[in-house]
Amino acid sequence: MTTSLADHLRSLPDESLAALLQLRPDLVVPVPSDISALATRAQSRVSVARALDGLDQFTLQILDAARLTRDPADGTTSTDAVLALATAGPRPPAPTSVRGAVNRLRALFLLYGPEGALTVVASVDEVSPYPAGLGRPAAELDPRTAALCADPAKLRRTLLAAPPSARAILDRLAAGPPVGSVPPGALQAPAVGAEDTLPPDPVNGGAPTGSPVRWLVEHRLLVPVSGGKSGSTGTVELPREIGLLLRRDSGPLGPLRTSPPEVAATPREAKAVDSAGAGQTMEVVRHTEALLEQLAADPAPVLRSGGVGVRDLRRLARTGGLDEPTTALLIEVAYAAGLLGELELPGVTTTRYGADQQVLPSAGYEVWRAASLAQRWEQLARAWLTMTRQVGLVGQRDDRDRPITVLSAEAERAGAPGARRAVLGVLADLEPATAPTPDEVLELLDWRAPRRSRGREAAHREVLAEAAQLGVTGLGALTSYGRLLLADVTDGDARADDPLGLHAEADSEEPSTAVRALDALLPAPVDHFLVQADLTVVVPGPPDPTLAAELDAVAEPESAGGASVYRVTTASVRRALDAGYTADDLHALFRRRSRTPVPQGLTYVIDDVARKHGGLRAGSAGAYLRSDDEALLAEVFADRRLESLALRRLAPTVLATPYQVGRLLGALRDAGYAPVPEDASGAAVLSRPKARRAPARVSVATRTLDPLAAPRVPMPRLLGVVEQIRRGDAAARAARRAPAAVRGGPRSATGPTPVQGHSDALAVLQQAVRDRALVWVGYVDAHGATASRLVKPVSIGAGYLRAEDERTEMLHTFALHRITAAVLAD
Amino acid sequence: MSGGPLIVQSDKTLLLEIDHPDAQACRMAIAPFAELERSPEHVHTYRLTPLGLWNARAAGHDAEGVVDSLIKYSRYPVPHALLVDVAETMDRYGRLQLANDPAHGLVLRALDRVVLVEVAKSKKLAGMLGNRIDDDTIAVHPSERGRLKQALLKLGWPAEDLAGYVDGEAHPIDLAEAGKDGRKPWTLRSYQREAVEAFWAGGSGVVVLPCGAGKTLVGAAAMAEAKATTLILVTNTVAGRQWKRELVARTSLTEDEIGEYSGERKEIRPVTIATYQVLTSRRGGAFTHLDLFNARDWGLVIYDEVHLLPAPIFRFTADLQARRRLGLTATLVREDGREGDVFSLIGPKRYDAPWKDIESQGWIAPAECVEVRVTLTDAERLAYATAEAEERYRMASTARTKLPVVRALVERHRDDQVLVIGGYIDQLHQLGEYLDAPIVQGSTTNKERERLFDEFRSGSLRTLVISKVGNFSIDLPEAAVAIQVSGTFGSRQEEAQRLGRVLRPKADGRQAHFYTVVSRDTIDTEYAAHRQRFLAEQGYAYTIVDADDVLGPKLPTVD
Repeated sequence: MTTSLADHLRSLPDESLAALLQLRPDLVVPVPSDISALATRAQSRVSVARALDGLDQFTLQILDAARLTRDPADGTTSTDAVLALATAGPRPPAPTSVRGAVNRLRALFLLYGPEGALTVVASVDEVSPYPAGLGRPAAELDPRTAALCADPAKLRRTLLAAPPSARAILDRLAAGPPVGSVPPGALQAPAVGAEDTLPPDPVNGGAPTGSPVRWLVEHRLLVPVSGGKSGSTGTVELPREIGLLLRRDSGPLGPLRTSPPEVAATPREAKAVDSAGAGQTMEVVRHTEALLEQLAADPAPVLRSGGVGVRDLRRLARTGGLDEPTTALLIEVAYAAGLLGELELPGVTTTRYGADQQVLPSAGYEVWRAASLAQRWEQLARAWLTMTRQVGLVGQRDDRDRPITVLSAEAERAGAPGARRAVLGVLADLEPATAPTPDEVLELLDWRAPRRSRGREAAHREVLAEAAQLGVTGLGALTSYGRLLLADVTDGDARADDPLGLHAEADSEEPSTAVRALDALLPAPVDHFLVQADLTVVVPGPPDPTLAAELDAVAEPESAGGASVYRVTTASVRRALDAGYTADDLHALFRRRSRTPVPQGLTYVIDDVARKHGGLRAGSAGAYLRSDDEALLAEVFADRRLESLALRRLAPTVLATPYQVGRLLGALRDAGYAPVPEDASGAAVLSRPKARRAPARVSVATRTLDPLAAPRVPMPRLLGVVEQIRRGDAAARAARRAPAAVRGGPRSATGPTPVQGHSDALAVLQQAVRDRALVWVGYVDAHGATASRLVKPVSIGAGYLRAEDERTEMLHTFALHRITAAVLAD
Repeated sequence: MSGGPLIVQSDKTLLLEIDHPDAQACRMAIAPFAELERSPEHVHTYRLTPLGLWNARAAGHDAEGVVDSLIKYSRYPVPHALLVDVAETMDRYGRLQLANDPAHGLVLRALDRVVLVEVAKSKKLAGMLGNRIDDDTIAVHPSERGRLKQALLKLGWPAEDLAGYVDGEAHPIDLAEAGKDGRKPWTLRSYQREAVEAFWAGGSGVVVLPCGAGKTLVGAAAMAEAKATTLILVTNTVAGRQWKRELVARTSLTEDEIGEYSGERKEIRPVTIATYQVLTSRRGGAFTHLDLFNARDWGLVIYDEVHLLPAPIFRFTADLQARRRLGLTATLVREDGREGDVFSLIGPKRYDAPWKDIESQGWIAPAECVEVRVTLTDAERLAYATAEAEERYRMASTARTKLPVVRALVERHRDDQVLVIGGYIDQLHQLGEYLDAPIVQGSTTNKERERLFDEFRSGSLRTLVISKVGNFSIDLPEAAVAIQVSGTFGSRQEEAQRLGRVLRPKADGRQAHFYTVVSRDTIDTEYAAHRQRFLAEQGYAYTIVDADDVLGPKLPTVD
């Protein structure tokens, strides 16, 4: 069959072949050498599974129909047969949709051949063993069951006689999958003496039969396929004929749904959705910043096994006023966005956990912090969309029953971005501001790609919860800016169409549309505050960065959110003074920034603290002049030419001036003195310690490709690939036709001796150079292997043959002494 | 962005900018479910608490409405998580109901069976629940009604109390608004009327009004509403007599209908006024006067100064859940942090008015608060610096340096009635001698107190030195100046109560002055800052001046 698919592919026009490659891009990674290789790959288990993964429920059911209708003799089916089976149920789907599904399958080459003789690609059976959830035909399982199935009347009677519990099992198996496991010993006859305790069984002549499964097996409705006899868990299978019989009500393929399930979503007000989402984005950014600040002050050690310990997570959650899952999410997102990084502890070998690395904000954090609220959010949300982490696993236990920690390798899931995109894709496809329930979303996903979504319901629910938490959705619906961001990130993959990066450049310069949309929803930064008599300072909105920095210096934060509330205390004023503010600075700051009159109490507190501050007189001076020679200083102090400097004697050896050091130096030099400027190391410098940062890291958001998503290859390249494959195919076929003389290998007795071959070959080649004819050249390569190649000789000289390979359009050089044979091509 | 007056914070506080044109409407909208926490001059702070949200549910507001008003008045987008939290919290209320079953008496009924199963398993409810009547109903011992409600609240499943109140023994009581015995006619002030209505609609609860705003009249009006025998619990005998005077003057009650139940007299009449002290006195380890609660079929129990309610009274109150309870206070700030118990046992806050609002309506006198900082002499500083930690506050607050400052202040207000309030008896005696003024302290007899207070009221006595006994419930309407020299550490409510002494509106509308004299650079200053917090949050701006300004020739006159 391989040959037949290969032949089929070979006969296709280039465009059709390219279309296939576009639908199943995994086939060209790496580019197959020829059509046979392509065909083999197209039938490989992995590739077929990948193709099936992308199919919706209905198309998969139609594929099942094709498999069920295969002619046992030659293994082919036809569109008509599929149509007949698909419409056999009580609510048949429209034939056009069935045909559409068949065409989709044919385009993917899961089905191929003419309409009348469709072949199902072989490994479909391996990938999904039970077509339409039906078991194997009875004849393959057990002759006695086959006999029962051959007698419809008896079969029906037996089914009707099944006790309710057994019937329930049958119905479950009939809905698929058709195999079930049975506990050890369930198929054994009950122990002698225990029979009386079991219910009597009328079908069995009144004698009890024990478990319902045993009843079914005894009555040949189920066939044990493995185990079950003694201690091990066994498996039973429902034969296909019985399954079909039980599906009388729903049709042989089970219930068919040609279109995705309807979403009875609650319509919301678009404004309310955006507003709730925007509120959440502010929270997220604020909480993230608070968390990172906390990590900057007290970095979390990295566990030996990777990740951040449970205790540290709990600490961060408690001080941040968040619950642990949210904290874990924000840390993971910040890490993915490149805002957090690890740093080796300098010179420390053991810490609390024996770790030698710490997690703390990276250099990228500074850049992030300076950006606008919307940009900061976008950076986080983008990282979330693309990060290959399933944060919901944090806090659960792994296979070895150890807790999965934040940032540990155990929470890595390559499928996470795909899951996010699938779930958000569902929301994006709905009308704006519709809020489906999580169940509806899951149902829809289940229809769209059942093979992909099955077993990942928990992950999908997590995506919805995280999206709400991050403000991508609001009130359960996708926000307008969330939609834009999603489109933008999805389009990021399409940037592959833009090999020169023309558009990417523009993107990085300007804020994205999502940022602009969100910006419009978020409050504008505020540069003033209100001061009240209880010494609270209220910033009625998000403070602009300079205001925030000033307030952080002079007041204690009390409450944050839409606005920020700070309280001025004596301690905070003292801290501000320590940081280099003077009382006048503080008065000026409050006068400048406050929209309300500054209360007398505040003024008094500032003055009172400043008075006590260090017991020192604070003043400002532009520069100082010092000398160990008191007499010299006295001279300077008395010098009239320097009166303009307004020098003040602070001590016998120190003079100060309100002017800058440059002016002081200039004036002194003009007056004939020889002052030397002192660098700052001599003076007390008030500064805060430099924040430590891990090296810069790149956000995962810059990776445009979802590692699992299919790579998108533009059409011109695909056509190039097709051409390459075809050429390879031609070469391969040609290689098979290379004359025996040049093929190397064991020489036939009749062949020429090596010496003869070599001289003949030279003659042939010289002739070929003149005729510009194609020649098969046999030669020994550098590794001693013999090879042959179809080339067009160009010249011979200096012991080398130069020849052009038509296939690769490359010029090859062969050492003449290595050429064993040369034969003119036909 | 609606540009509304409200800013919702992520710690569930709501900031209301009161200069905004919509501020008043917004305040009306959020008052039912948010607690007013601070009301300084520009931005009021409300807080969303589970208790507040549940009270709103009890008063018939639903989550949808709460969320709507938050969104409507919010200036900025409200975080989705907060809205979800509000809805979920409110949804917890009323899953359980306390009801009167005709057959089984008081029962706990579940609208959500799972919740009932959950709470029934809780150890905290052990012994409060009786037999299970059916899947959704469990019998409750009537005596456990209060404790059960309290415990359910702590479990986060507040029960809706549908069991109602007993009417009590009827007794005719009316407000004598037309004037009685030749007095001038008067009417209940608007906020008093609102407070009574809010209380009556809620059944039980606490009314918070500033000192001097006429809480007694709220009590009287509640009695007139109940028209039933009433038990009034007050802090001390003098306060009890003031209640009696006020009730006789303002209601149809006569002297004979009002009994005093105190250390001196044990009268039980249709309206009985008892002191906390006598109720909590023990003989041989047993509370001997508890029978008072059952002496009559009281229709209403009034707790005056509920912020001072002693712990044993909490326990008795738990048994009184079938009776209407009214708590009155100016400052529901308990330094022991038991505000929650007040709310769950007496009832939620039913009415609260910012002090400055009442002041602007003219019902309490405008007050100027001044903190005078005294610089200790070097000797005093040295003594302070070397004192034991527990002696430091006493050393600082009783510094002799304060005396001349106090005298200067008294001199300055020569024409006013001045109260000098302190916490340390020695200091008060010093002050008494220094100022030549009489002292009222704990050991002063009730008779002597009454005499001194009467003299003070009449104006023949200008300056009075009082100890902590004067913190509460003494009605000295003409006192216009209070000078505080020492107090009970950082007690916020004490500060507010002391200010309250001078807040009664003056006959000539004069301003009141409240001075607090503190020693600079000592723990006294720190405590003062803490003490002032409540009043500062109510919008009283303290001016801080140096003692030299008071003593010196230049006077820092504000008016």
